[in-house]
Amino acid sequence: MTTTVQAFAPVSKEDLAFIGTDPIPTEPYYRSDYFELEREAIFKRSWIQMGHICEIPEPGSFIVRAFEAGNASLLITRDRDGEVRAFHNACPHRGTQLVQVDGGKRSRFTCPYHGWTFSNQGKLLAAPEADKFYINPSDCTLPAVSVGVCAGFIFINLDKSPRQSLQEYLGPLVAELEKLPHARATTYSEYTYEVDANWKLTYDNFQENYHLRFLHPRSGEAAGGPQNPYGYPTRYGFHDPHRSQTIWSNPDAKPLPFQAFAFGKGARHAMEAGYKLEDKEYFGIFPNLFILGAAMTPFSQCIMPIAANKTRSIIRLYWIGEDDSASKRFAREYAMATALDIHCEDRAVIEAGHRGLASGALSHLHFQSQEVLCRHLYNQVDKRVQAYKAELENRGASE
Amino acid sequence: MSLENMRLPTGFDALEPFVDRWAIKGANNRLQQRLNSQESERASFFNIGKDLVPPALELLDQKPLHELDEKEQRLMDLVLSLAHISLAVEIQRDHEPAHAESARHITINRATSDKDTNLCN
Ligand code: FES
Ligand SMILES: [Fe+2]
Repeated sequence: MTTTVQAFAPVSKEDLAFIGTDPIPTEPYYRSDYFELEREAIFKRSWIQMGHICEIPEPGSFIVRAFEAGNASLLITRDRDGEVRAFHNACPHRGTQLVQVDGGKRSRFTCPYHGWTFSNQGKLLAAPEADKFYINPSDCTLPAVSVGVCAGFIFINLDKSPRQSLQEYLGPLVAELEKLPHARATTYSEYTYEVDANWKLTYDNFQENYHLRFLHPRSGEAAGGPQNPYGYPTRYGFHDPHRSQTIWSNPDAKPLPFQAFAFGKGARHAMEAGYKLEDKEYFGIFPNLFILGAAMTPFSQCIMPIAANKTRSIIRLYWIGEDDSASKRFAREYAMATALDIHCEDRAVIEAGHRGLASGALSHLHFQSQEVLCRHLYNQVDKRVQAYKAELENRGASE
Repeated sequence: MSLENMRLPTGFDALEPFVDRWAIKGANNRLQQRLNSQESERASFFNIGKDLVPPALELLDQKPLHELDEKEQRLMDLVLSLAHISLAVEIQRDHEPAHAESARHITINRATSDKDTNLCN
């Protein structure tokens, strides 16, 4: 019996041309005036992932998250009814950041400045010398922020009245995301790093496989194979403003002995949890989150812009249940260290890319068809920036 | 080696010489130790350790993690260090020094293995 090797054919250039074929201007990738427009047009009015429901498992749990691109700090709580709430972490008396820790369990928060105390539903519970004010302090609630949950991920939206609910925003992806291991996760491992580069350059690095064989000759050995040397995906999906792809599995991958042992442990746990090892769906959630649904390394990367030329990446591997055996603990440590090894290899080249573009030497950059997800991100960003500019002009004209 | 000097469960004496350097609490500390180590020490730890990981896990799997005694916990920490070290020795090989330069920019803030280890983050 002979097995026929299924030749791999990537999605054709013709089939992807509808996303665009032109060179892309470089200025959006480094100019701070463009970043300021993105801040208003995108980060202050889109749904942005801030955490996961497993971080606030019970009434009284809370987290605090920095969100530089929104000029904000968020306090996210679970109240006594189990409801998830989000607030600006800003005391309505004189603006002081109310909570200075990353998270914990506390159902009331006292401002360090003059001692105003709030419930985790945002109500003012006590204010010293309340009768000395000219207002009714009980009207002073913590400024609420819209919050939504999908597949366990907590999203916030700084828009005072978001144009779409989170579910409308994610549209058909809701059902897909809810099927992922992340949706049932109860814990996670996390590592972070910063790069001196624009957030889109950081993101783009993780939405094309063209670079794998050059940057990951060792850690990415299994990603490409004779049939598909670059490890291109088998499918792309466009769900404006989001996108997806199906990662190709290399049938010829030959793990090294210790690696095979560690992956074997991980595979057993993934299968026990009911996941199919061949599932490898990638979801790029606009603007700055992507999620990989691989059963053995179910992870997410949140790409947090700090400035036009500075970005923080937060990578998490989500797990169902605490480590309940030495083998599981070992397999998870190995999976995390493996993902980390691949991630760190991209860092230097992301910064080098930013330096090259920020020199202003190039007016345009080029995306090949298999870099279509990068192009799609740019299209979606620029569409919003241009619409926002038009909005500003109209506002100016009508004043 | 006399019995009272044994710091690991019976059957794992071959790992005794690695306890001081590699029985480390905290995933980020294990990563840092990998990045700060010499090629020769990584190689000798991995070469002796790799075949002992399956029997070590078989032993440790018999108890809930929070019931591991001191010796067993040390063995667990060694096995977890081997997860990191194996990537240097088996996967990165000659690329490890260059690779380590980029890995230095990463911090592990939290790992599931940090539980039950009295780690203060
Ligand atoms: S600023 Fe918070 S109590 Fe004064
Ligand atoms: Fe990469």
